[in-house]
Amino acid sequence: MSLYTPRIRIQTQRGAVWSIRQWRSRLISPSCNFRRHLAFAADSKNLGKNGTGPNDPAGHPQGAAAPFQIFDRQVKKLHRDRAASNVEESRKVDYLRDEVADRLVDRLYDINRSYDHVLDLGAGACHLARALHKPHPPLGPFADRIKHLTCVELSSDYLGRDEDSYIMPSTSSMKLTRVARDEETVLFDPPSRGGEMESSMFDAVISAGSLQWINDLPSVMTSISRVLKPDSPFLCAMFGGDTLYELRTSLQLVNMDRLGGVSPHVSPLADVRDMGGLLQRAGFKLITIDVDDIIVDYIDVFALLKDLQAMGEANAIFGRRKGLAGISKEALMGLDGVYRELHGRPEHGGSGDGNGIPATFRIIYLIGWKEGVGQQQPLKRGSGEVNLKDVLGGEGRDFGKE
Amino acid sequence: MPPTKIRPVDRLAQAVAKCPAESTAYGKCIVADFHNVHKDKCFAEFQVLQACVQRHMGKR
Repeated sequence: MSLYTPRIRIQTQRGAVWSIRQWRSRLISPSCNFRRHLAFAADSKNLGKNGTGPNDPAGHPQGAAAPFQIFDRQVKKLHRDRAASNVEESRKVDYLRDEVADRLVDRLYDINRSYDHVLDLGAGACHLARALHKPHPPLGPFADRIKHLTCVELSSDYLGRDEDSYIMPSTSSMKLTRVARDEETVLFDPPSRGGEMESSMFDAVISAGSLQWINDLPSVMTSISRVLKPDSPFLCAMFGGDTLYELRTSLQLVNMDRLGGVSPHVSPLADVRDMGGLLQRAGFKLITIDVDDIIVDYIDVFALLKDLQAMGEANAIFGRRKGLAGISKEALMGLDGVYRELHGRPEHGGSGDGNGIPATFRIIYLIGWKEGVGQQQPLKRGSGEVNLKDVLGGEGRDFGKE
Repeated sequence: MPPTKIRPVDRLAQAVAKCPAESTAYGKCIVADFHNVHKDKCFAEFQVLQACVQRHMGKR
Protein backbone atom coordinates (compact mmCIF):
# COMPACT_ATOMS: atom_id res chain seq x y z
CA MET A 1 0.00 0.00 0.00
CA SER A 2 1.60 3.18 -1.11
CA LEU A 3 -0.17 5.10 1.66
CA TYR A 4 2.11 3.47 4.18
CA THR A 5 5.44 3.74 2.48
CA PRO A 6 7.63 4.82 5.37
CA ARG A 7 9.59 7.94 4.63
CA ILE A 8 13.27 7.53 4.19
CA ARG A 9 14.71 9.90 6.74
CA ILE A 10 17.02 7.50 8.42
CA GLN A 11 20.17 9.53 8.08
CA THR A 12 18.81 12.56 9.84
CA GLN A 13 16.52 10.98 12.37
CA ARG A 14 18.03 9.20 15.31
CA GLY A 15 16.90 8.05 18.69
CA ALA A 16 13.42 7.15 19.79
CA VAL A 17 11.46 8.65 16.96
CA TRP A 18 13.54 6.86 14.43
CA SER A 19 13.23 3.52 16.13
CA ILE A 20 9.48 3.82 16.41
CA ARG A 21 9.23 4.67 12.74
CA GLN A 22 11.36 1.69 11.92
CA TRP A 23 9.32 -0.59 14.08
CA ARG A 24 6.13 0.69 12.53
CA SER A 25 7.36 0.23 9.04
CA ARG A 26 8.50 -3.22 9.91
CA LEU A 27 5.08 -4.18 11.19
CA ILE A 28 3.42 -2.58 8.21
CA SER A 29 5.47 -4.59 5.81
CA PRO A 30 4.74 -8.19 6.78
CA SER A 31 7.26 -9.68 4.43
CA CYS A 32 10.01 -7.76 6.12
CA ASN A 33 9.27 -9.42 9.39
CA PHE A 34 8.95 -12.76 7.75
CA ARG A 35 12.35 -12.46 6.16
CA ARG A 36 13.77 -11.93 9.57
CA HIS A 37 11.95 -15.04 10.67
CA LEU A 38 13.40 -16.98 7.77
CA ALA A 39 16.84 -15.67 8.47
CA PHE A 40 16.60 -16.81 12.05
CA ALA A 41 15.31 -20.18 10.97
CA ALA A 42 18.26 -20.51 8.64
CA ASP A 43 20.63 -19.63 11.47
CA SER A 44 19.05 -22.22 13.69
CA LYS A 45 19.47 -24.79 10.98
CA ASN A 46 23.17 -24.12 10.73
CA LEU A 47 23.54 -24.16 14.47
CA GLY A 48 21.73 -27.45 14.64
CA LYS A 49 23.89 -28.91 11.92
CA ASN A 50 27.05 -28.01 13.76
CA GLY A 51 25.80 -28.87 17.17
CA THR A 52 23.62 -31.94 16.91
CA GLY A 53 25.03 -33.91 14.06
CA PRO A 54 24.12 -34.24 10.42
CA ASN A 55 21.38 -36.84 10.83
CA ASP A 56 18.68 -34.45 11.92
CA PRO A 57 16.94 -33.07 8.82
CA ALA A 58 15.42 -30.21 10.73
CA GLY A 59 18.64 -29.44 12.49
CA HIS A 60 16.98 -29.50 15.90
CA PRO A 61 17.94 -31.65 18.82
CA GLN A 62 15.53 -34.52 19.06
CA GLY A 63 12.29 -33.58 20.81
CA ALA A 64 13.38 -29.99 21.32
CA ALA A 65 11.60 -27.01 19.87
CA ALA A 66 13.15 -24.76 17.27
CA PRO A 67 15.48 -22.25 18.93
CA PHE A 68 13.67 -19.27 17.47
CA GLN A 69 9.96 -19.16 18.16
CA ILE A 70 7.47 -16.54 17.11
CA PHE A 71 4.22 -18.32 17.79
CA ASP A 72 3.26 -19.93 21.04
CA ARG A 73 1.98 -23.33 19.91
CA GLN A 74 0.62 -24.14 23.36
CA VAL A 75 -1.50 -21.00 23.28
CA LYS A 76 -2.60 -21.82 19.74
CA LYS A 77 -3.80 -25.16 21.04
CA LEU A 78 -5.76 -23.42 23.77
CA HIS A 79 -7.30 -21.08 21.18
CA ARG A 80 -8.50 -24.03 19.15
CA ASP A 81 -9.71 -25.91 22.23
CA ARG A 82 -11.69 -22.84 23.13
CA ALA A 83 -13.09 -22.56 19.62
CA ALA A 84 -14.20 -26.18 19.79
CA SER A 85 -15.86 -25.74 23.17
CA ASN A 86 -18.70 -23.83 21.56
CA VAL A 87 -19.62 -25.99 18.60
CA GLU A 88 -22.45 -23.80 17.39
CA GLU A 89 -20.37 -20.61 17.33
CA SER A 90 -17.45 -22.44 15.82
CA ARG A 91 -19.56 -23.81 12.96
CA LYS A 92 -20.89 -20.32 12.27
CA VAL A 93 -17.40 -19.04 11.52
CA ASP A 94 -16.48 -21.98 9.30
CA TYR A 95 -17.25 -19.78 6.27
CA LEU A 96 -13.64 -18.77 5.76
CA ARG A 97 -12.01 -22.16 6.27
CA ASP A 98 -14.69 -23.80 4.15
CA GLU A 99 -14.11 -21.35 1.33
CA VAL A 100 -10.37 -21.94 1.45
CA ALA A 101 -10.86 -25.70 1.60
CA ASP A 102 -13.25 -25.62 -1.36
CA ARG A 103 -10.78 -23.67 -3.43
CA LEU A 104 -7.99 -26.06 -2.55
CA VAL A 105 -10.13 -29.05 -3.54
CA ASP A 106 -10.77 -27.24 -6.80
CA ARG A 107 -7.04 -27.37 -7.43
CA LEU A 108 -6.92 -31.06 -6.55
CA TYR A 109 -9.26 -31.75 -9.47
CA ASP A 110 -6.63 -30.29 -11.80
CA ILE A 111 -4.38 -33.27 -11.07
CA ASN A 112 -5.74 -36.33 -12.77
CA ARG A 113 -4.84 -38.92 -10.18
CA SER A 114 -6.21 -41.19 -7.49
CA TYR A 115 -4.57 -41.45 -4.10
CA ASP A 116 -4.23 -44.30 -1.64
CA HIS A 117 -3.14 -42.34 1.40
CA VAL A 118 -3.37 -38.57 1.80
CA LEU A 119 -2.20 -36.47 4.73
CA ASP A 120 -4.15 -33.39 5.77
CA LEU A 121 -1.68 -31.33 7.79
CA GLY A 122 -3.41 -28.90 10.15
CA ALA A 123 -6.87 -30.23 9.50
CA GLY A 124 -8.81 -27.99 11.87
CA ALA A 125 -12.24 -29.55 12.33
CA CYS A 126 -11.65 -31.70 9.22
CA HIS A 127 -12.76 -28.89 6.92
CA LEU A 128 -10.90 -30.38 3.98
CA ALA A 129 -12.48 -33.79 4.54
CA ARG A 130 -15.88 -32.13 4.37
CA ALA A 131 -14.96 -30.16 1.26
CA LEU A 132 -13.74 -33.36 -0.38
CA HIS A 133 -17.21 -34.83 -0.03
CA LYS A 134 -19.06 -31.97 -1.66
CA PRO A 135 -20.46 -32.84 -5.07
CA HIS A 136 -18.59 -31.13 -7.85
CA PRO A 137 -20.77 -31.51 -10.96
CA PRO A 138 -20.25 -32.94 -13.48
CA LEU A 139 -17.53 -34.81 -11.53
CA GLY A 140 -18.29 -36.72 -8.37
CA PRO A 141 -16.91 -35.74 -4.97
CA PHE A 142 -13.14 -35.88 -4.88
CA ALA A 143 -13.26 -38.23 -1.91
CA ASP A 144 -14.07 -41.03 -4.37
CA ARG A 145 -10.47 -40.83 -5.51
CA ILE A 146 -8.96 -41.05 -2.02
CA LYS A 147 -8.88 -44.30 -0.07
CA HIS A 148 -7.50 -43.06 3.21
CA LEU A 149 -7.23 -39.53 4.63
CA THR A 150 -5.17 -38.90 7.75
CA CYS A 151 -6.01 -35.62 9.49
CA VAL A 152 -3.35 -34.16 11.77
CA GLU A 153 -4.30 -31.27 14.03
CA LEU A 154 -2.77 -29.69 17.12
CA SER A 155 -5.94 -29.57 19.20
CA SER A 156 -7.75 -32.84 19.76
CA ASP A 157 -10.93 -30.99 20.77
CA TYR A 158 -11.02 -29.02 17.55
CA LEU A 159 -10.14 -32.07 15.48
CA GLY A 160 -12.97 -34.02 17.03
CA ARG A 161 -15.47 -31.17 16.95
CA ASP A 162 -17.66 -32.81 14.33
CA GLU A 163 -18.69 -36.44 14.27
CA ASP A 164 -18.08 -38.36 11.05
CA SER A 165 -21.73 -38.09 10.00
CA TYR A 166 -21.38 -34.29 9.83
CA ILE A 167 -18.26 -34.53 7.68
CA MET A 168 -19.15 -37.25 5.20
CA PRO A 169 -22.08 -39.39 4.11
CA SER A 170 -22.18 -42.90 5.53
CA THR A 171 -21.85 -44.24 2.00
CA SER A 172 -18.40 -42.71 1.56
CA SER A 173 -15.68 -45.23 0.86
CA MET A 174 -12.95 -42.95 2.21
CA LYS A 175 -11.33 -43.91 5.50
CA LEU A 176 -10.81 -40.99 7.87
CA THR A 177 -8.15 -41.15 10.58
CA ARG A 178 -7.72 -38.38 13.10
CA VAL A 179 -4.34 -37.82 14.71
CA ALA A 180 -4.07 -35.11 17.37
CA ARG A 181 -0.42 -34.06 17.15
CA ASP A 182 1.40 -30.80 16.72
CA GLU A 183 1.65 -30.42 12.96
CA GLU A 184 4.87 -28.51 13.45
CA THR A 185 6.78 -31.46 14.86
CA VAL A 186 4.87 -34.60 13.92
CA LEU A 187 6.69 -35.08 10.61
CA PHE A 188 10.22 -34.34 11.79
CA ASP A 189 11.51 -37.75 12.65
CA PRO A 190 11.09 -41.17 11.06
CA PRO A 191 10.01 -44.00 13.39
CA SER A 192 13.61 -45.17 13.68
CA ARG A 193 14.30 -41.96 15.64
CA GLY A 194 11.14 -41.96 17.72
CA GLY A 195 8.88 -40.21 15.23
CA GLU A 196 5.54 -41.43 13.99
CA MET A 197 5.43 -40.91 10.26
CA GLU A 198 7.30 -43.21 7.88
CA SER A 199 9.28 -41.71 5.04
CA SER A 200 7.53 -41.91 1.67
CA MET A 201 4.23 -43.01 3.15
CA PHE A 202 1.78 -40.51 1.59
CA ASP A 203 0.62 -40.13 -1.99
CA ALA A 204 -0.21 -36.50 -1.38
CA VAL A 205 -0.02 -33.94 1.41
CA ILE A 206 -2.67 -31.24 1.60
CA SER A 207 -3.10 -28.38 4.05
CA ALA A 208 -5.62 -25.56 4.25
CA GLY A 209 -5.40 -22.52 6.45
CA SER A 210 -3.01 -23.79 9.07
CA LEU A 211 0.63 -23.31 8.08
CA GLN A 212 0.57 -19.60 8.96
CA TRP A 213 1.06 -20.60 12.60
CA ILE A 214 4.15 -22.70 11.98
CA ASN A 215 7.33 -21.33 13.54
CA ASP A 216 9.88 -23.14 11.46
CA LEU A 217 8.34 -23.31 8.01
CA PRO A 218 11.52 -24.38 6.17
CA SER A 219 11.98 -27.54 8.18
CA VAL A 220 8.26 -28.40 8.10
CA MET A 221 8.41 -28.17 4.31
CA THR A 222 11.47 -30.43 4.30
CA SER A 223 9.62 -32.91 6.52
CA ILE A 224 6.63 -32.86 4.17
CA SER A 225 8.95 -33.71 1.35
CA ARG A 226 10.28 -36.60 3.44
CA VAL A 227 6.90 -38.24 4.04
CA LEU A 228 5.81 -37.89 0.42
CA LYS A 229 6.32 -40.69 -2.07
CA PRO A 230 8.48 -39.73 -5.06
CA ASP A 231 6.58 -37.83 -7.77
CA SER A 232 3.75 -36.90 -5.38
CA PRO A 233 2.16 -33.49 -4.93
CA PHE A 234 2.00 -31.18 -1.93
CA LEU A 235 -0.91 -28.76 -2.06
CA CYS A 236 -1.28 -26.04 0.49
CA ALA A 237 -3.38 -22.97 1.13
CA MET A 238 -2.21 -20.59 3.81
CA PHE A 239 -2.95 -17.06 4.90
CA GLY A 240 -0.16 -14.70 3.99
CA GLY A 241 0.91 -11.38 2.59
CA ASP A 242 -1.59 -8.64 3.17
CA THR A 243 -3.99 -10.69 5.26
CA LEU A 244 -5.78 -8.43 7.73
CA TYR A 245 -3.68 -5.42 6.71
CA GLU A 246 -6.64 -3.19 7.56
CA LEU A 247 -6.66 -4.43 11.12
CA ARG A 248 -2.88 -4.27 11.33
CA THR A 249 -2.70 -0.65 10.22
CA SER A 250 -5.67 0.61 12.24
CA LEU A 251 -4.36 -1.03 15.39
CA GLN A 252 -0.98 0.57 14.88
CA LEU A 253 -2.52 4.01 14.57
CA VAL A 254 -4.78 3.62 17.59
CA ASN A 255 -2.01 2.16 19.71
CA MET A 256 0.33 4.97 18.69
CA ASP A 257 -2.23 7.48 19.88
CA ARG A 258 -3.43 5.71 23.01
CA LEU A 259 -0.28 3.95 24.23
CA GLY A 260 2.44 5.84 22.39
CA GLY A 261 3.82 2.71 20.76
CA VAL A 262 2.84 -0.42 18.95
CA SER A 263 2.51 -3.98 20.05
CA PRO A 264 2.33 -7.10 17.89
CA HIS A 265 -1.30 -8.00 17.21
CA VAL A 266 -1.39 -9.38 13.70
CA SER A 267 1.06 -12.16 12.93
CA PRO A 268 4.01 -11.65 10.64
CA LEU A 269 2.93 -13.54 7.55
CA ALA A 270 4.73 -15.19 4.71
CA ASP A 271 4.77 -13.27 1.47
CA VAL A 272 4.18 -14.75 -1.95
CA ARG A 273 7.74 -13.93 -2.97
CA ASP A 274 9.15 -15.94 -0.09
CA MET A 275 7.13 -19.05 -0.74
CA GLY A 276 8.79 -20.01 -4.03
CA GLY A 277 12.23 -20.02 -2.47
CA LEU A 278 10.92 -21.90 0.52
CA LEU A 279 9.45 -24.70 -1.58
CA GLN A 280 12.53 -24.83 -3.75
CA ARG A 281 14.75 -25.07 -0.73
CA ALA A 282 12.72 -28.02 0.54
CA GLY A 283 13.43 -29.76 -2.76
CA PHE A 284 10.03 -29.43 -4.43
CA LYS A 285 9.84 -29.37 -8.21
CA LEU A 286 7.32 -27.92 -10.69
CA ILE A 287 6.29 -25.27 -8.22
CA THR A 288 3.06 -23.37 -8.76
CA ILE A 289 2.05 -20.45 -6.58
CA ASP A 290 -1.03 -18.33 -6.87
CA VAL A 291 -2.91 -15.92 -4.69
CA ASP A 292 -6.55 -15.25 -3.91
CA ASP A 293 -7.91 -12.32 -1.97
CA ILE A 294 -11.06 -12.99 -0.02
CA ILE A 295 -12.59 -9.79 1.31
CA VAL A 296 -15.13 -10.22 4.05
CA ASP A 297 -17.35 -7.37 5.18
CA TYR A 298 -18.10 -7.15 8.87
CA ILE A 299 -20.62 -4.97 10.62
CA ASP A 300 -17.97 -3.56 12.94
CA VAL A 301 -14.47 -4.31 14.13
CA PHE A 302 -15.76 -6.18 17.17
CA ALA A 303 -17.53 -8.66 14.91
CA LEU A 304 -14.24 -9.24 13.07
CA LEU A 305 -12.28 -9.78 16.28
CA LYS A 306 -14.90 -12.10 17.73
CA ASP A 307 -15.05 -14.16 14.56
CA LEU A 308 -11.27 -14.48 14.49
CA GLN A 309 -11.36 -15.66 18.07
CA ALA A 310 -14.14 -18.15 17.34
CA MET A 311 -12.07 -19.52 14.46
CA GLY A 312 -9.21 -20.13 16.88
CA GLU A 313 -7.16 -17.56 14.99
CA ALA A 314 -6.49 -15.17 17.87
CA ASN A 315 -3.05 -13.71 18.41
CA ALA A 316 -0.47 -16.26 19.53
CA ILE A 317 2.73 -14.27 19.11
CA PHE A 318 5.16 -14.45 21.98
CA GLY A 319 5.23 -11.13 23.78
CA ARG A 320 1.63 -10.30 22.96
CA ARG A 321 -0.61 -8.58 25.45
CA LYS A 322 -3.42 -10.53 27.05
CA GLY A 323 -7.14 -10.08 26.53
CA LEU A 324 -9.24 -9.94 23.38
CA ALA A 325 -6.43 -9.92 20.83
CA GLY A 326 -4.44 -8.17 23.56
CA ILE A 327 -5.91 -4.81 22.69
CA SER A 328 -6.34 -2.37 25.54
CA LYS A 329 -9.86 -1.23 26.30
CA GLU A 330 -9.08 2.32 25.28
CA ALA A 331 -7.63 1.23 21.97
CA LEU A 332 -10.62 -1.01 21.40
CA MET A 333 -12.92 1.96 21.90
CA GLY A 334 -11.21 4.04 19.27
CA LEU A 335 -10.39 1.20 16.90
CA ASP A 336 -13.76 1.00 15.20
CA GLY A 337 -13.77 4.66 14.20
CA VAL A 338 -10.23 4.57 12.85
CA TYR A 339 -10.77 1.31 10.95
CA ARG A 340 -13.95 2.69 9.40
CA GLU A 341 -12.32 5.98 8.49
CA LEU A 342 -9.18 4.44 7.05
CA HIS A 343 -10.55 1.41 5.22
CA GLY A 344 -14.33 1.55 5.31
CA ARG A 345 -14.70 4.20 2.62
CA PRO A 346 -13.45 4.60 -0.90
CA GLU A 347 -11.86 8.03 -0.21
CA HIS A 348 -8.78 6.56 1.43
CA GLY A 349 -8.52 3.60 -0.87
CA GLY A 350 -10.77 1.40 1.26
CA SER A 351 -13.00 -1.06 -0.46
CA GLY A 352 -16.05 -0.62 1.77
CA ASP A 353 -19.07 1.55 1.11
CA GLY A 354 -19.14 3.24 4.51
CA ASN A 355 -21.57 0.79 6.10
CA GLY A 356 -19.52 -2.22 7.04
CA ILE A 357 -15.76 -2.72 7.34
CA PRO A 358 -13.78 -4.83 4.90
CA ALA A 359 -11.25 -7.41 6.04
CA THR A 360 -8.89 -8.89 3.49
CA PHE A 361 -7.71 -12.47 3.72
CA ARG A 362 -4.96 -13.23 1.25
CA ILE A 363 -4.69 -16.92 0.56
CA ILE A 364 -1.47 -18.25 -0.96
CA TYR A 365 -1.84 -21.55 -2.77
CA LEU A 366 1.25 -23.63 -3.20
CA ILE A 367 1.68 -26.73 -5.29
CA GLY A 368 5.00 -28.54 -5.34
CA TRP A 369 6.02 -31.99 -6.45
CA LYS A 370 8.52 -34.27 -4.81
CA GLU A 371 11.17 -35.27 -7.29
CA GLY A 372 10.57 -38.62 -8.94
CA VAL A 373 11.73 -40.78 -11.81
CA GLY A 374 10.05 -39.94 -15.10
CA GLN A 375 8.71 -36.66 -13.81
CA GLN A 376 8.11 -33.92 -16.30
CA GLN A 377 11.17 -31.67 -16.46
CA PRO A 378 11.33 -28.03 -17.35
CA LEU A 379 12.83 -27.42 -20.78
CA LYS A 380 16.39 -26.23 -21.01
CA ARG A 381 16.82 -22.52 -20.85
CA GLY A 382 17.01 -20.91 -24.26
CA SER A 383 15.49 -23.93 -25.99
CA GLY A 384 12.26 -22.14 -26.92
CA GLU A 385 11.68 -21.86 -30.63
CA VAL A 386 8.59 -19.67 -30.72
CA ASN A 387 8.60 -16.05 -29.67
CA LEU A 388 5.83 -15.57 -27.12
CA LYS A 389 5.14 -12.17 -28.61
CA ASP A 390 4.06 -13.84 -31.84
CA VAL A 391 1.68 -16.10 -29.95
CA LEU A 392 0.22 -13.51 -27.62
CA GLY A 393 0.07 -10.70 -30.17
CA GLY A 394 1.93 -7.44 -30.31
CA GLU A 395 0.03 -5.88 -27.40
CA GLY A 396 2.63 -6.79 -24.83
CA ARG A 397 4.96 -4.04 -23.68
CA ASP A 398 8.44 -4.10 -25.08
CA PHE A 399 10.54 -3.70 -21.97
CA GLY A 400 13.80 -3.53 -23.86
CA LYS A 401 12.91 -0.29 -25.60
CA GLU A 402 11.43 1.56 -22.67
CA MET B 1 -20.74 -19.65 30.05
CA PRO B 2 -24.51 -19.26 30.51
CA PRO B 3 -26.08 -17.75 27.39
CA THR B 4 -27.82 -14.96 29.31
CA LYS B 5 -24.56 -13.33 30.33
CA ILE B 6 -23.38 -10.63 27.95
CA ARG B 7 -19.68 -10.73 27.22
CA PRO B 8 -17.90 -7.51 28.23
CA VAL B 9 -16.70 -7.04 24.69
CA ASP B 10 -20.28 -7.14 23.44
CA ARG B 11 -21.26 -4.48 25.94
CA LEU B 12 -18.39 -2.34 24.70
CA ALA B 13 -19.37 -2.99 21.08
CA GLN B 14 -22.95 -1.92 21.77
CA ALA B 15 -21.81 1.19 23.58
CA VAL B 16 -19.43 2.20 20.78
CA ALA B 17 -22.20 1.59 18.24
CA LYS B 18 -24.29 4.18 20.07
CA CYS B 19 -21.63 6.85 19.61
CA PRO B 20 -21.16 6.94 15.84
CA ALA B 21 -20.50 10.69 15.64
CA GLU B 22 -17.83 10.65 18.37
CA SER B 23 -16.25 7.51 16.95
CA THR B 24 -16.08 9.02 13.48
CA ALA B 25 -14.62 12.26 14.82
CA TYR B 26 -11.85 10.33 16.56
CA GLY B 27 -11.21 8.27 13.45
CA LYS B 28 -11.03 11.37 11.26
CA CYS B 29 -8.59 13.03 13.65
CA ILE B 30 -6.23 10.02 13.58
CA VAL B 31 -6.47 9.44 9.87
CA ALA B 32 -6.08 13.13 8.99
CA ASP B 33 -2.29 12.89 9.33
CA PHE B 34 -1.53 9.25 9.86
CA HIS B 35 2.16 9.52 9.11
CA ASN B 36 2.64 11.53 12.27
CA VAL B 37 0.55 9.88 14.93
CA HIS B 38 2.04 10.25 18.38
CA LYS B 39 0.80 9.67 21.89
CA ASP B 40 -2.33 11.65 22.73
CA LYS B 41 -2.48 13.21 19.30
CA CYS B 42 -6.27 13.03 19.44
CA PHE B 43 -6.72 13.13 23.20
CA ALA B 44 -9.59 15.63 23.09
CA GLU B 45 -11.57 13.60 20.59
CA PHE B 46 -10.85 10.45 22.53
CA GLN B 47 -12.12 11.95 25.77
CA VAL B 48 -15.41 12.85 24.11
CA LEU B 49 -15.69 9.33 22.72
CA GLN B 50 -14.80 7.76 26.04
CA ALA B 51 -17.37 9.84 27.89
CA CYS B 52 -20.06 8.82 25.43
CA VAL B 53 -19.12 5.14 25.58
CA GLN B 54 -19.03 5.17 29.37
CA ARG B 55 -22.44 6.81 29.47
CA HIS B 56 -23.87 3.99 27.40
CA MET B 57 -21.91 1.28 29.18
CA GLY B 58 -23.72 2.16 32.39
CA LYS B 59 -27.12 1.30 30.97
CA ARG B 60 -27.69 -2.40 30.90
